[in-house]
Amino acid sequence: MKPQLLMAGGLAVVVALTLSSFLGVFEDKVDFNTQIKPLLNKNCIACHGGVKKASNFSLLFKHEALAPAKSGKPAIVPGDADASEFIRRLTLTDHEERMPLEAPPLKPEEIELLRKWIDQGAEWGDHWAYQPVEKPDVPQIGTFWSRLGLAENDELKWAKNEIDHFILDKLKAENLKPSPEADKATLIRRVSLDLTGLPPTEKEVADFVADQSPDAYAKVVDRLLASPAYGERWTGMWLDLARYADTKGYERDPGRSIWRYRDWLIKAFNEDKPFDQFTVEQLAGDLLPNPTDDQLVATGFHRNTMTNDEGGTQDEEFRVAAVIDRVNTTWDVWQGTTFSCVQCHSHPYDPFVHEEYYKYLAFFNNTRDEDVTTETPTLRFYKKEDSLKVQELNSWLKTHLKQPRQLQQVMQFVRITEPKINSHDFDEYVNASLLDAKFFGMQDAGSGRIKSVDLTGKNRLIMQWGTKAKNAVLTLHQDSPTGPVLLTIPTPANGRDTTMIFALPTVSGRHHLYWTLSSPETPKDWVQIRWVSFQPALPGQPAHELGEMDLKLAQILNARPEVTPIMFEGTGDLARKTHVFERGNWLVQGKEVKPDVPKSLPPMAKDLPKNRLGLARWMVSREQPLTARVAVNRFWEQLFGTGIVETVEDVGTQGIPPTHRELLDWLSVEFMETDHWSVKKLLKRMVMSATYRQRSDVSPELLAKDPFNKLMARGPRVRLAAEQVRDQALSVTGLLSNKLYGPSVMPPQPDGIWQSPYSGESWKLSEGEDRYRRALYTYWKRTAPYPSMITFDSPSREFCQLRRLRTNTPLQALVTLNDPVYVEAAQRLAETMKLRGKTPEQQIQSGFRMIMLRDLAPKKLAVLAKLYRNTQTYYQQHPDEAKKLLACEEATPQLAALTVTANTMLNLDEVITKE
Amino acid sequence: MNKLLRELQEAALQRETRRHFLHTCSTGLGAMALSSTLAGCGFFDKKEEKQALGATAPNEPMTPRPAQFSPKAKRVIYIHMAGSPSQLELFDYKPELMKYHGKDCPQALLEGKKFAFIRGVPKMLGPQGKFAQHGQSGAWISDYLPHLQTVADELTFIKSMHTDQFNHAPAQLLMHTGNARLGRPSIGSWVTYGLGSENDNLPGFIVLASGGKQPDAGKSVWGSGFLPTVYQGVQCRTDGDPVLYVSDPKGMNRDIRKQTIDAINDINRQQYEEVKDPEILTRISQYEMAFKMQMSVPDAMDIKSEPEYILNAYGVDPNKGSFARNCLLARRLVERGVRFVQLFDWGWDTHGTSKDGSIETGLRDKCNESDQAVTALLKDLKQRGLLDETLVVWGGEFGRTPMQENRDGQTLPFMGRDHHLDAFTVWMAGGGVKRGFSYGETDDIGYYATKDKVHVHDLQATILHLLGFDHTKLTYQFQGRPFRLTDVAGKVVKPVLA
Repeated sequence: MKPQLLMAGGLAVVVALTLSSFLGVFEDKVDFNTQIKPLLNKNCIACHGGVKKASNFSLLFKHEALAPAKSGKPAIVPGDADASEFIRRLTLTDHEERMPLEAPPLKPEEIELLRKWIDQGAEWGDHWAYQPVEKPDVPQIGTFWSRLGLAENDELKWAKNEIDHFILDKLKAENLKPSPEADKATLIRRVSLDLTGLPPTEKEVADFVADQSPDAYAKVVDRLLASPAYGERWTGMWLDLARYADTKGYERDPGRSIWRYRDWLIKAFNEDKPFDQFTVEQLAGDLLPNPTDDQLVATGFHRNTMTNDEGGTQDEEFRVAAVIDRVNTTWDVWQGTTFSCVQCHSHPYDPFVHEEYYKYLAFFNNTRDEDVTTETPTLRFYKKEDSLKVQELNSWLKTHLKQPRQLQQVMQFVRITEPKINSHDFDEYVNASLLDAKFFGMQDAGSGRIKSVDLTGKNRLIMQWGTKAKNAVLTLHQDSPTGPVLLTIPTPANGRDTTMIFALPTVSGRHHLYWTLSSPETPKDWVQIRWVSFQPALPGQPAHELGEMDLKLAQILNARPEVTPIMFEGTGDLARKTHVFERGNWLVQGKEVKPDVPKSLPPMAKDLPKNRLGLARWMVSREQPLTARVAVNRFWEQLFGTGIVETVEDVGTQGIPPTHRELLDWLSVEFMETDHWSVKKLLKRMVMSATYRQRSDVSPELLAKDPFNKLMARGPRVRLAAEQVRDQALSVTGLLSNKLYGPSVMPPQPDGIWQSPYSGESWKLSEGEDRYRRALYTYWKRTAPYPSMITFDSPSREFCQLRRLRTNTPLQALVTLNDPVYVEAAQRLAETMKLRGKTPEQQIQSGFRMIMLRDLAPKKLAVLAKLYRNTQTYYQQHPDEAKKLLACEEATPQLAALTVTANTMLNLDEVITKE
Repeated sequence: MNKLLRELQEAALQRETRRHFLHTCSTGLGAMALSSTLAGCGFFDKKEEKQALGATAPNEPMTPRPAQFSPKAKRVIYIHMAGSPSQLELFDYKPELMKYHGKDCPQALLEGKKFAFIRGVPKMLGPQGKFAQHGQSGAWISDYLPHLQTVADELTFIKSMHTDQFNHAPAQLLMHTGNARLGRPSIGSWVTYGLGSENDNLPGFIVLASGGKQPDAGKSVWGSGFLPTVYQGVQCRTDGDPVLYVSDPKGMNRDIRKQTIDAINDINRQQYEEVKDPEILTRISQYEMAFKMQMSVPDAMDIKSEPEYILNAYGVDPNKGSFARNCLLARRLVERGVRFVQLFDWGWDTHGTSKDGSIETGLRDKCNESDQAVTALLKDLKQRGLLDETLVVWGGEFGRTPMQENRDGQTLPFMGRDHHLDAFTVWMAGGGVKRGFSYGETDDIGYYATKDKVHVHDLQATILHLLGFDHTKLTYQFQGRPFRLTDVAGKVVKPVLA
């Protein structure tokens, strides 16, 4: 190119740039995220997005949109709308050609907007939630003079902390004023229900009302945050996310013992375990250096996936289903993003491609759980005498071992029984079968193979097996079913599953191993093997025969300890490769992938390991844009009824945009930086705000302007959650047990709720105070959850549910009217009411105070007093009915009438609502 | 009260506004179907959206609303024989199979196949029923079902059904929720979500179970999945309260209950005057409905009022829970405008491991228990003029093998068949399907559906079509994408439509 021409070209560019930037002064910049992306999502992306790329044109990523389409030319030419095929196609009249196909054309103003956006350079913006969290300025409120303290100002008087600045800022823009603070009784009930899930006691209310000090409210908040009930309340919330249940799900839905994980949650919330640590321990506690029991139990989070014990099902299918559920749940809970779409195809709206799903899945694909009926790996909690044996073994090992590594390995086997090979991995069956509960079985003359075992240094076989066969002989061969014999074992006398240790001859290298069975006496009886494990001999034990310590170890392994499922990473032969599943089908495996996080999010730091632990640490790193925002939003939703992003489950481009984005970011930064992920501090910040403390009643004008309280010019008013409805009724009537922790309980439930096929399990009514425990301890059977919980919108916990939708149905009314739990609560309340007043009015008033902690308005009192009198007259005439109602011979008409009145009060809107 | 009603309407309008807000921000429609703050969203195709959901008052998610197009059926009675009856004994006549009876199954049929229980090489099992053609349509029905033979000309058989799941729970889930895993809404939930209920005083979707056990997949087969819980099936029970907690406590009579509800609503109205939360108005109407349900549910469930000849026709002992009783109840419920009645009868899983679970005895017993009642139901509906608008569907979750089961490689004491994916029969009657018709064929031994194959999703698409829905457009926005009953599949089986 000649220099002159270059000059001229350069000049033209300069002129053009000057012109466009000059014109730009008069023209508003089009915002991709708020103006363009919604148009694209609504009209284009179904065919030109992550799922389909019609004509090889996609609008999901910038590089795709600007790349040449099928025609060979790019459809969008930045800076030149007229040259962009994209615009031309929108404006055609020919139905075959005009876009969107088979749909109404875009409105002229919409096309104009797209045109302008392209002319301005077709800039792509990242969706707000994927951008780094930066701390915004706190908006100023009040006037200049008032800020200097030189003048009175309503705004300054109202506001308590920075939250209120953000809220006020928006209210002012809408010409609205906030509401005054709720009265003390309402406020303490609200904050108590929110922080502890329980209403305050009468004394707590009286103390608060009497306390005139300026920090009276702060003291209440601190007391609530320190109460053990706090941990229970937030555990209740987390159990939905963890899809916690006391059964395994699927057809048989048998019991599972994983309540220790629930205990872990209660403790974690109560000791205010920082949310980053809380996250790391649940996702990867097993990978922490020398994990404690608690850290292992925490990994129960992802062992709440369902397992299928049904005969004939393939373990691998359901193992994969569980891993996929873990991936989806991790995204749902911590990232507020629906990643499950990407399982089958690239995300239709958000910037994630198909392969990234499987890279992410690779983090989770290495754990040792394989859908086996025993739910291993589990952490074993030995009972007294057994735990002494474990200690003995431990100290013996310490004195006899040269390498601490083997100590750790042996103790790991004692506590977790890993590593082992589950027998469903055997192959080359002859006269053998994968039996009903999905373990390997052989009949007479049967054989089966254990694939490629490295026997170097492994002089012990540990095996769990059982049989009814008599005088049969099991043989282990090397390399082929007729190969060299490594081991000959007569079948054990004890037919049920027994763990036994056998000495193996010294063999080095990798070999296929073959079982054969000779069982002529009872040829049809099965020899069943659950698992095998090849290990070095304990120190000082003879290599080729069992020693004393082998027997001790076998004794320990055959103990029947309590167990809880945990995550445990497989290494070496037990590590898995991960492949892409074509269109989400686990049977169609595509290319192999290595663990990594999606490209549209910040990369993992170099020093982080590419495993679950690294992933967990990455999720709680300061650069990660989603974790803190999603957590803050969830806690906000719990207190205010609606999230700052209403779709708590989806902060992506398909979610509802945040009402107060700056506030969300400000809180997120405070949460991470100032409060070091302390949930208690975060919650305190929220409940201390004037925004939270507002009255919740609403004027018709405000209701018209803001029916869903998005602007927060009033306090939250929402129906109590399922747990709270029950816990409150038990609490205000004095029935509630405050016992913490432990296995799930079975409070009264109607007969016939549990009718699982093939399961002898039944609802066994708990005794004593266990009948009155908080709702979160109620035994949760996935296929038949506790009926009143479900009626009040609890999910069934088959999968993680991020948000409970609040419904209002007649079946809910029937629960609080007629469920014996609520009738009993009314009886108890009536007894106390009777003692607390002479006249019916006094008694009713006292009952209402016990529930609502404030006086009943005279007009409402009159309604209840009339009900009482009518009812009392009836029971006077029908004393037998009174006896039936109270289920007692000494029933009086008065007490019966009070019970009816109490039953009525427990159903009032204000009672089942957080006001 | 007028004033309150007006305010209720205003509240409705305000929610309507919100719906538009949600719609314009392209997150799908607000679930105005619900009174409360919901953001899981109804998601209809734009054209149908207005007529389908526009009429819905927000506080009444069950308000009846028109379908997307004119429906042939207004209600459904879905009779699910849980465990799966053998098509080879009942409808799919295979004389050829008899020739192979007792012979080893050819390897070609076993290669690459997976069975729930069959191991090794099983023997073939010839049909155990005596088959003959019935009615003008000449439908093949065996002597296992002598009563059904008399209504052969009312039925449309689909003999080429196939599924993806050979275990009960996943197969039942696939049949009823369109997906083999837990967590999706059931077909009854989809239908009530789409159409609401014609009866204010009864649930729109009612489930009746018999046979002593729940279906294998538990309540999830009538669960609402991610749809609002208001759309889940309400199980009416045989013992105790027909609907949980519908009875007043002992010692409290109707009049006192009425007074308490009046008091609750009176105080709630006062509360509304103070705080103006529209949710309170909804609660008032829900308590009124609860009170009405307390009357109407026991009334609907009380079959003692039925005349002797009806009880005899169904073969019902009014004092005992039974499948027959549930058939009669189904008629009473659809008569009262219940949208979707789901019958589950447990005990059709005939593997041959026990007498009750055998083809020769157990299956006959189950047929004897149910045949008369199913037939009576069809006749009764027809005689009352209800059959034209009521779609009756009968079937299991999968089929059964032409091979005799040999569980764990052993010979079983009784005749039985294993679970089978590739061929089974369902029949439909009434609301919009052909009468006296048979669709689809299987091969000579009933192993594979060969002609006009119908997948479970196709059956679902067809049922929704009969109710006036394009199955691809009855969707609900959840976790960032629209879901539907038929997942990403399903074709309406047009030839069976009347």
